[in-house]
Amino acid sequence: MKVINLVYITAFTLFIHFNSNGQNLLDKLNKEFPKESINEIATFKTTRIGLSHSIETRKKGALEISMYNRYWNHKEGTTQSFLADEVNIRFGLDYAFSDSFTVGLGHSINDKITDGFVKYKFLRQKKNSKVKPFSMAFFQEISYINNNPNSGTYSFYNNNNSTSNSIYSFTSQLLIARKFNSKFSMQVSPTFITRNKDFANNQSRSQFAMGFGARYKVGGHVSIVSEYYSVFNPLKSTKTYNPFMVGVNWEVSHLLLQFQMTNARNFAKDVFITQTTNNFNFHDGNFHFGFNATFVLHTNKKKL
Amino acid sequence: MNKLALFFILALFKTGNLLSQQHIARQGQVTFFSYTSVENIEAKNNQVLSILDVEKKEMAVSMLMRAFVFKKDLMREHFNESYIESDLYPKATFEGHFNNLEGSLNQTSLMKGKITIHGITKNIDIKTTIKKTGESYAISGEFNLTVKDFNIKIPPILSSNIAKVVLVKFKFQYLGYESN
Repeated sequence: MKVINLVYITAFTLFIHFNSNGQNLLDKLNKEFPKESINEIATFKTTRIGLSHSIETRKKGALEISMYNRYWNHKEGTTQSFLADEVNIRFGLDYAFSDSFTVGLGHSINDKITDGFVKYKFLRQKKNSKVKPFSMAFFQEISYINNNPNSGTYSFYNNNNSTSNSIYSFTSQLLIARKFNSKFSMQVSPTFITRNKDFANNQSRSQFAMGFGARYKVGGHVSIVSEYYSVFNPLKSTKTYNPFMVGVNWEVSHLLLQFQMTNARNFAKDVFITQTTNNFNFHDGNFHFGFNATFVLHTNKKKL
Repeated sequence: MNKLALFFILALFKTGNLLSQQHIARQGQVTFFSYTSVENIEAKNNQVLSILDVEKKEMAVSMLMRAFVFKKDLMREHFNESYIESDLYPKATFEGHFNNLEGSLNQTSLMKGKITIHGITKNIDIKTTIKKTGESYAISGEFNLTVKDFNIKIPPILSSNIAKVVLVKFKFQYLGYESN
């Protein structure tokens, strides 16, 4: 019995020996790689899918300088303006305090809304992992508008018996995104919006919405993106439409460009999600051309 | 019985002996440089794996493209997503054979081998410097790679930012390899 055992062991040892000899050096090396799975990167690449935020956050020390534009024409279509009748431009600054925490500020010139946000990415999708199949981030925005009843910018709100014209809106979002493969990513964003002022018709100040966004990479630097928000309890006083966007994102080194077709003309989340009064089509007054340019400045460079 | 035991011991000894001829570097360094008048790009990978077989005069290198660190983080994302496509081609590998490897003195040796980046394999000759101290080896060298050879597409608008030929430097410190 002992002898037979020994024969087996010997044969086994010889086999291992033979095996290790025949084994390619590269195969051997590939077994040496650490088993831990790595984080998925570039789910959307840009910190905005188009209209609203993606789960992406920039790395620590990155400053994003952005200019977002929307151009559209008046309904009549008889105007003689150069290129477009109206433009809304948002100037923004975003700073990444850490790899997962970003703070941003912006002001848009046409609707005169100032907004600020914080975004915290608390879950990162792992490559080929069943434990962390998606990334998650929390997003909170506050927007401010001085609603002067004389100018009548915002007819949505109940301006009777009010002493203050300041409207503060709060948008909270949970961003959940998954990179399915190197080309395709999707995001859903449950959204809660509330503000400090009542609407007309005694409607609730709070609204719920669900955002959907997707990205499909068509080339090394170009991807097609689309975004849509579905509002569950839209305004009763005014007919509103859900915002939709389809566009192209183009990355040129430090400059990230977005070209889009949309029906949303505002940049503050609470406004474009719940108060877009035109639907998406190609008629004057409804069609909006969007052009977003973001420059990424790295304020702390890694030492190699 | 006795013969078998002897055979068994011999077999073990032989295996052990063979393994001791192999050396591994787990924290090898590979750096690449792209110099243009517009922009200088530099990236470093500190987790390169390499194995050296002194007896066979062979060497193999494998690295994860994701482990390259850039001065600017956005460059790392572009590198992985738009140029190297590390989702599809996560690793770069090299297998080479030394012309001579005496294993005693400090020497330079020409190495012929195959390099695989972005799924494309090219033959390459590399001049290497080998230093032996005690039982450990250190191998270093540098070579040039033409970006176009590896089907890495650079959009025309950025062609002045990225060099057509990239300088690659490597440095490996080997220790005795014990399998498992």
